[in-house]
Amino acid sequence: MDRRTFLKAGAGAVALSGLAAPAYSQGANARTLRFVPQANLANFDPIWGTQYVVRNAAVLVWDTLYGFDSNLQPQRQMVESEEVSGDGLTWSFRLRPGLKFHDGSAVTSKDVVASITRWMARDSMGLMVKALMQEFVAVDDRNFRLVLSKPYPKLLVALGKNSTPMAFIMPERLAKTDPFQQVSEYIGSGPMRFVRNEWVPGAKAVFERFADYQPRQEASNWLAGGKRMLVDRVEWIIMPDPATASAALQNGEVDWWENPITDLIPQLRRNRNVRADIADPLGNIGAFRMNYLTPPFNNVKARQAVMAALSQEDYMAALVGGDQQMWKPLPSFFTPGTPLYTEEGGEILKGPRNLDLAKRLLAESGYAGTPVPCIVAQDQPITKAMGDVTADLLKRIGFNVDFVATDWGTVGQRRAMKNPLGQGGWSMFHTWHAGADAINPAVYIAIRANGERAWFGWPDVPSVETEVTNWFEAKNLDEEKAAIRRLNKAAMENVVYAPTGFFLQYQAWRANVTGVGKGPIPFFWGVGKS
Amino acid sequence: MFNYIVRRVLATIPVMAIVALFVFSLLYIAPGDPAAVIAGDQATPDDVERIRASLGLDRPFLVRFGEWVFRILQGDMGVSIFTNLPVTTMIQQRIEPTLSLMVLTVILAVSVAIPLGVIAAWKQGTLIDRAVMGMAVLGFSVPVFVVGYLLAYIFALELDWLPVQGYTALSEGLWPWLENLILPAVALGGVYIALIARITRATMLEVLSQDYIRTARAKGAGQGSILFLHALKNAAVPIVTVIGIGIALLIGGAVVTESVFAIPGLGRLTVDAILRRDYPVIQGVVLLFSFVYVLVNLGIDLVYTLFDPRIRY
Amino acid sequence: MASATVMAPAAPPATLPPGINAAPVMPDVLPPVKARKGVLGFIRRHPTMSVGLFIIATMIFIAIFAPYLGTTDPTALAPARRTREPSAQYWFGTDMLGRDVYSRVMYGARVSLLVGFAVAFCASIIGLTIGLVSGYIRLADSIIMRIMDGLMSIPPILLAIALMALTRGSVQNVIIAITIAEVPRVSRLVRGVVLSLREQPYVEAAIAAGTRTPTIIIRHILPNTLAPLTVQATFICAAAMITESILSFIGAGTPPIIPSWGNIMAEGRALWQVKPYIVFFPAIFLSITVLSINLVGDGLRDALDPRMAKRL
Repeated sequence: MDRRTFLKAGAGAVALSGLAAPAYSQGANARTLRFVPQANLANFDPIWGTQYVVRNAAVLVWDTLYGFDSNLQPQRQMVESEEVSGDGLTWSFRLRPGLKFHDGSAVTSKDVVASITRWMARDSMGLMVKALMQEFVAVDDRNFRLVLSKPYPKLLVALGKNSTPMAFIMPERLAKTDPFQQVSEYIGSGPMRFVRNEWVPGAKAVFERFADYQPRQEASNWLAGGKRMLVDRVEWIIMPDPATASAALQNGEVDWWENPITDLIPQLRRNRNVRADIADPLGNIGAFRMNYLTPPFNNVKARQAVMAALSQEDYMAALVGGDQQMWKPLPSFFTPGTPLYTEEGGEILKGPRNLDLAKRLLAESGYAGTPVPCIVAQDQPITKAMGDVTADLLKRIGFNVDFVATDWGTVGQRRAMKNPLGQGGWSMFHTWHAGADAINPAVYIAIRANGERAWFGWPDVPSVETEVTNWFEAKNLDEEKAAIRRLNKAAMENVVYAPTGFFLQYQAWRANVTGVGKGPIPFFWGVGKS
Repeated sequence: MFNYIVRRVLATIPVMAIVALFVFSLLYIAPGDPAAVIAGDQATPDDVERIRASLGLDRPFLVRFGEWVFRILQGDMGVSIFTNLPVTTMIQQRIEPTLSLMVLTVILAVSVAIPLGVIAAWKQGTLIDRAVMGMAVLGFSVPVFVVGYLLAYIFALELDWLPVQGYTALSEGLWPWLENLILPAVALGGVYIALIARITRATMLEVLSQDYIRTARAKGAGQGSILFLHALKNAAVPIVTVIGIGIALLIGGAVVTESVFAIPGLGRLTVDAILRRDYPVIQGVVLLFSFVYVLVNLGIDLVYTLFDPRIRY
Repeated sequence: MASATVMAPAAPPATLPPGINAAPVMPDVLPPVKARKGVLGFIRRHPTMSVGLFIIATMIFIAIFAPYLGTTDPTALAPARRTREPSAQYWFGTDMLGRDVYSRVMYGARVSLLVGFAVAFCASIIGLTIGLVSGYIRLADSIIMRIMDGLMSIPPILLAIALMALTRGSVQNVIIAITIAEVPRVSRLVRGVVLSLREQPYVEAAIAAGTRTPTIIIRHILPNTLAPLTVQATFICAAAMITESILSFIGAGTPPIIPSWGNIMAEGRALWQVKPYIVFFPAIFLSITVLSINLVGDGLRDALDPRMAKRL
């Protein structure tokens, strides 16, 4: 019994006898997992919204046909079996029996066809499939067929990947929603049910175990295998203040904190009831993303000026502190330690930083001192820290920095605007990419450089796109590697974006919580409380 | 008196109208196209056009204002830009924690500040008086979040007496509810206590110099009965008035306190909405807080009109 | 924070029912004081006020001479030497970006004092103008006062943050937002003074004698509003500095790049438990400054309004 429980008991016995007894019984407490997520769950349509936090909540509520395991290989999840014709054009799928949505209705092929169709409209790989699609029909309640005009060997990767938006299966009536509008109900067939009437955006989101969920027989492995829930209830408690979250974890008021800032780890570790470890060994890549549509970064020389002076060491120190274990220099766009990793063309980020070269490049770009709007989210520790370093860096190079301090939600809005400067347009923003999303061009929307159709910033580098195509068409790993080497070089030379380094993040949990795993998503299945 | 009450109630209507007009104009004073702001991230030009039509931006400002007020009166405050939930729903979800915090703070502040103020007045010029008044000035001078962090550090982390954060609904039991609110209420109450203690002391000093107190003393009434029966009763009106006005401080302070203690109340809703420029929510919250503030002060006025026989209109 | 505004007995609460004499507004005639002359005499007669004035003077000195007080560039990043504890080299330690907290606090005095003084000045001038107009022109009075009542019904901090939501964070916008939130109270105060002065025999006499209105205002009204207005201004100054820190704390204040005491605290809040000095030093400076201003305000009120002096 800790001091507070003791006090409570004492107070209950003496002063407050006769008052309502605490409603929490020890048992109910042990069946509820209280989790502090990285950010607020402001909206909850995982096709419409692509923030990581929405995806992380969605994997509880919605299931997928396939799911990545920790080797980043798609494994069957809702699908029982699939068959592909010899020419690679016709795919026949069969659903597992007994799948049910949270409203009690059975999951049928019709739901799948509608859901995948909605997803295709919003996902970069989905769009590629859509372009090749000849026929996509429900054969009967459990069988459906996809016919392509050209083989697409990465189809199962597309259906099982964990980068956003994931190919979640919803009831047909919801999946018929315009992909650019949000769904109005949150009903899936995943292991947990979303308790909508307890949802307080900005404060709390609650999930309850779905009794009719049929887990697979295999052991769970990331998004693959049997997703068995050991707790009845998962409460997401949103805490905007890391100091409060840290105190709450130390006091045992919450059980698991997704992203404690590195500076607080030593203190958390001193508490014998708290455990802290790396959250995701695949880590994250910090990104300094420039706008190809507006000056000064519409000029490659200005972008190169940033690369010449950018010190990843500064960014990483600001981000993860003095702990050298927690970051690595990254003269690359790809996740270190994964098969396609290459440093080809990365010289510009290596060695001593060259401020004179940066100044010269900037002058050559014809920059005339116009304000450069830097859109920096202050409510995300990652973007906030990088933003401060960037403001300093750009000032030293000679940019006239217009520092727009705002929040992550507003960055989401503002970065989508293609307007010229002065009319809502912008020059740069910071974000980060999970290492798991930066392993190859299929799942890596941020590396694409197909101009107007590319991700925010709209990089337009044809040579990068050529190599993306080469990679998709590669017949073996060596060909894939060669394509990625050329891609990395072209992306470095033209600066698709500026990588600010590779970093790891911690997660922390109470010692009585078991089964906390490592991965790009906090996986709740297999996590219990003793 | 009846006339006064009617006039007093009617006088709040223009006040609320001004508040409503100000709150409504917020969206239109803001830089940028309101339709684009509401449409948000993924909007196509068609979406923006549709929203512009639904906002009726082509029609005169006052017509739109009238319609907006009409909808508010029917309980429709619009829909949040970020969550797509009705603003009224979002407010309902969060009203209990904030109300609990405020009520508890008022009770705490009044029960601490009035005795302090009375004692300071009684012991005017002594060390006790100076100490109380010094604390009061200090109460005005330290930002509420600093007080909050200090309290959390001492009483939650070091001593482990109380939880650091969060809110438990009253329906879960009185102690769990109270336990979560004690530290925030103390942090929030600081300024309020200072305010009430000062006005109590000032009014008490004035009352204590009146003839009837001297008479009571001469009759040999006890010190306690003089202070708390005779004097305090006569000092009540200004004190109660300031308690009402001070609600404004509590509302401002709640915005910060709820962030520090992670209480899912209206204050945090306000901060979130403001950082995201979620205009319908900002409008709803500012309107609601102002309405409550006006209502509380109206209530206080009416109460002492009814109960204080000296006030005649 | 409106604290000081409301507490100042010079400003009778708007909702006070007529006939209740809670907080007299009018300064009486100054009593003849057998004052000892000179600084020492002043200090002896007003010890708290002297301490307050001394601290404020020190803070102003710090603000003006920040570059010469052993500071470095307060915005210079050095991530390699982040979160150092206070030491001989870094007197107040360094923050999470390796910036020198001492330099930031010294330079922060500039922004915080600027906000406080500018708001006090602007709110006084605007409030004075509105109050004079409203107190003197019957027709304008009811309209202006309805608007002021409306604005006063919005809690001041809420009003300031709502205004900040409309605009970009800049020192100028912070000053404007807090000023707008404070103006209604000032104009109410001034209007009250004007209304009661108009009833004074000598003003009525002046009016009857056909003195022009501007002359009456300048000669009779203005001098008598200055005393309560000055007292009110000090409280506004103190409240504005607290409000600035709150705006910064919730992320709706001055841009994070510019060090103000509020900003330094907001930056350090995440590390509050492990590196308390990042919050502690600016908090001490802010609190001491605000405390001093409040003490001076109290002292001024006592000196200018002897009837109050007896009591508060």
